[in-house]
This record gives sequence, C-alpha cells and structure tokens, in this order.
Amino acid sequence: MSDFLLEFVEITQTIGDGLFFGTTYALIGIGFSLIFGAMRKLNMTYAAAALAGAYVGLAAFTFINAPAPVVFLISALASGLIGGAVYITCFRFIPINNHLAALMASIGALFFIDEIVVHTTDGSPLTFPALFDDVMFEMGPYGVRGDLLFVLAVNIVSTIGLLYVLYRTRLGLATRAVSQQDVAAQLCGIDVHRTNAITFVLAGLLGGIAGSMTASAVGVLSPLITVPLTVKGLIVSVIGGLGSIPGAIAAGLLVGGLENAFLYFRGVNERDMYVLLLLFVFLIFRPDGLFGSAIDRD
Amino acid sequence: MLELRGLSKHFGGVRAVDELDITVQEGEIFGLIGPNGSGKSTTINLICGVYQETAGTVRFHEELMNGKPPHQRLRAGIARTFQNIRLFPNLTVWQNLWVAQNSPEDLATQGFLSRWFGATRRTRREIATLLELADLEHKSDELASNLAFGEQRRLEFARAAAARPKLLLLDEPAAGMNRQEIHDLSLRIRRIRDSGVTILLVEHVMELVMGVAEQIAVLNFGQKIASGTPGDVQRNKAVQEAYLGTSDSDAPSLDTGD
Repeated sequence: MSDFLLEFVEITQTIGDGLFFGTTYALIGIGFSLIFGAMRKLNMTYAAAALAGAYVGLAAFTFINAPAPVVFLISALASGLIGGAVYITCFRFIPINNHLAALMASIGALFFIDEIVVHTTDGSPLTFPALFDDVMFEMGPYGVRGDLLFVLAVNIVSTIGLLYVLYRTRLGLATRAVSQQDVAAQLCGIDVHRTNAITFVLAGLLGGIAGSMTASAVGVLSPLITVPLTVKGLIVSVIGGLGSIPGAIAAGLLVGGLENAFLYFRGVNERDMYVLLLLFVFLIFRPDGLFGSAIDRD
Repeated sequence: MLELRGLSKHFGGVRAVDELDITVQEGEIFGLIGPNGSGKSTTINLICGVYQETAGTVRFHEELMNGKPPHQRLRAGIARTFQNIRLFPNLTVWQNLWVAQNSPEDLATQGFLSRWFGATRRTRREIATLLELADLEHKSDELASNLAFGEQRRLEFARAAAARPKLLLLDEPAAGMNRQEIHDLSLRIRRIRDSGVTILLVEHVMELVMGVAEQIAVLNFGQKIASGTPGDVQRNKAVQEAYLGTSDSDAPSLDTGD
C-alpha cells in the first residue's frame, strides 16, 4: 500500500473511533437537552450523577462480583435515582423563574456528588468491567474493538429507546407537552412536577448508561472524568441547540469525530483546545445550534 | 355549582378583580362580559388556578378550590380554553387529545403501564369521538401547528372536553371568527352543554353571548355592575354607560347584530 493510502486508512480509522465515542457524548448531550427542554434550566449535576451511577454499578462488581451486563444495568438505575433526588433537592422547590438559584444549586450538587465519590474511592481510578473486550473485528485494513462495538450498540439502542418513549408513549408526549406549553399542560390536568421528576429520572437512566459505557470503553472509572464529561455534555448540547434532541445526537457525533481528527493532526495536548474553539465558533456564528432555533422546538 | 365569593385579585395597586360574587348553576350557559381590561380573563385565571387570589373564595361543588394547583382543579372537573390558542404545537392532533385525557375516571381505572405507555381501546374510542366533535377526523395525524386557525380553535375545544369536565371555561372562543364560524360555535357550545357540561363563557362578541347565554354578569373595572338574563343586561343603564360612555372607540356594541 502506498503511504497516502496508509495515512488515509489511519485518518478514517481515527475519526471512525471518534464517531463511536461520539455516541456517548450524544447520550450526555441528550440528557442536558431533555432537562433544558422540560424546565429551561441547566442541570449541572448531570455528568457527575452519571459517574456516581457507574460507581454504584462498580460496587456491585467489586463486592458481589456481578457480571458486566448487571453492572451496566445497576449503573443506569442508580443514576436514574440520583437524577430524581437532584430534581427534588435542586429544582422542585425553587421558583420556576429563578434560573440562577437552580443553576447554583445544581453546581453545588455537582461538587457534592463529586466529593462523595472522591472520599469513598480515595480518588484513585478503579478497573471497570467491559463486554467483548477480547474480540477484535477486522474489515479490510480497519479494525474495531469488540467492547467499543458493544458500547456503540448500547448507545444506539438507548437513543432509539428514548426517542420511542418521547414520541410514541403518553409518558413522553406528556413531558413534551409540558416543555412546549407548560401552563396549558397544567390546565389539561398534567402534573408538571411529576412529569419533570420523570424527565430527570429518564435523563439519569441515560446518563448512567453513558457513564458506564464511558468507563467500560476506557477500562477504568475515575472521578477525574466528571469535569471533562460535564464540559463535553454542555458543548454538545450548545452545538446541537439547547433543548434539541436531534441536535444533541448530531452534535455528539460531530464533536466525537472532530475530537479525534484534532487528536490525529494536532496531538492529545491541543485536542481539547480545538474542541472548545469549536464551541466559541458556534456561540458566535450559530448560537441557536446546528438546526437553528431550538428554543421553541423539542 | 360554581360560587365565587368576595373574589379579589390585586396586581400591585391595580384591582383587576374586586370583591366579585358570582354563582353559576349546574347545567347553564353563563356569560361573563365587560369592556377590555374589566377583569374577565383574570376571573377565569382565578377559577382555574393560574393566579392565586388576593382575597375571597372559589367553591366548586361546595368544595373550596383556593390554593389548589391547576391540574387538581382540572381533575375536580374544571377545564378551559385559551383566548390566544395554546395547543401543544409539536404534537399531532391525536396526541394533543391523548395527553389531555386526565379525567378522574381515567386516572382511577388505568394502570401504570396502560396509562403511560399504551393507549387502551377505550382511550382510542373516546379520542375518535372527540375528533368527530371537533370535525377533525381527517386531520388526526397532522401536527397541531400545521392546522388552520379555525381548526386550532376546534382542537382546543376538543382538548378541553377530553378531560370530561363538569364546568368548561371558554375564554373568548369567538375571537377572530366570521359569522358562519360563530354560528357553528354556538351550536357546538349548546351541544356540549346538552351533554351535561356547565359553561362559563367570557366573550367580546355580543352576537354569541346574547345568543347562547342564559345568565349574564357584566364586569367593569373588576367589579360586577349588573347581572341577569340577556334582556335585563341589555336594558341596564350602568351597562350601557360602561360600554358606550367611554372614549374607547372600539368598545363593542351591545347590539346583537340581528
């Protein structure tokens, strides 16, 4: 093979891997968007809750030697519960128009959750289980790790599952009704506090899946992932357009792919700098995100 | 069935609704009229729980409603439509009706799964009936935002009926309608009443109110200045002054247009 072809394979492989990982960013972005869509508020705890959920799953792995699928399931459920708890403590009783108070409360909760994790684990990275990590798929010159393929599959299935709930079930339609017209929704008999709580739990479930998939892809779980994941989640939801779920999916893939492209061309030290630059470009030239005005859309 | 006693709502120094007493009997069509800014919409918002009253009481079937959030009042049987249409724009017509089915019977009989994840056969049948009432059968999969103005109004009407209310508050349902549409609307209001729903109608269009309402109360500056049958009200001096004695050039005429 010529040098050019080799390099082409390498670039596409790197970007392809980035797209794989981008599905995890998409999940995190969807979580931010779900909550922003429902309440017009940012839930900063989101990524921390996702990782805390993964730690609960890890506890099951360490102490009762639970198999990997069970670990993932427990991570998702725990993160869902944490999401519900965050709603009650940081959002439920704060007046709906007081955006700053809710934001500060959730930032406080972010550090609180993070501290709990750091103290119980002494801050050291712990091994996280993966599925199919001994398998390698080869397609011509390209190769895909089995565990990454599994992560991709789980992420796609969760996204489709969420879209099904949002667009086809009454539960999802009720949460979307609240995000489109909250006063009218209440006057149609929809209990806004309940649907908001359900939205937080749903988003938490997704976060737990994203958290455990991140840890599984990397192989270790560390409190150090919280901040980068929060930042990536925010970048993805801004680029996708706050509140837009299709936007979050597209932006997750975009950020994942570009991140690895930056990694390839500029190296790991400069990677995040360019990702943040991308955020600035969007904020200046396309503040409504990829698909235009997302505020009125769900 | 609905009793407002000494009901007041002050916004700062403005007395939007002031010491209002109104009684609506079961099964009647009750009209609430008055010039712009006389407190009609505020009254509706107090009844359905969007605003908290400054003083006074709202009783529905003898039960005190003060302090109850809107969704609980709806479940007690009070539904409404909006002056400026407030449908769920990105839900289809069918879905708009589906999420609005929150009658106490529905809540009591549906299990968690059938309530939140699937539509029971009875649900589908009822939505079909509502679509027929609103004359929207052929639009059931259309997004609400794609409907024409008149169709959106009809959908709001059907959505309010989806909760099987005992009292339906209509906030200026004829705004922006032509004569034919107003005629159709009055037929629809009567039809709903005949199915056992009490109606409180807030309206500017005199042709509609005088045509369908059996009892009328007139508000001016938040106070009730007259009440009685349409005939009584039309002959009332204070009412004529409130409408015609102002410099407000677009104050509606009391003439029913006949």
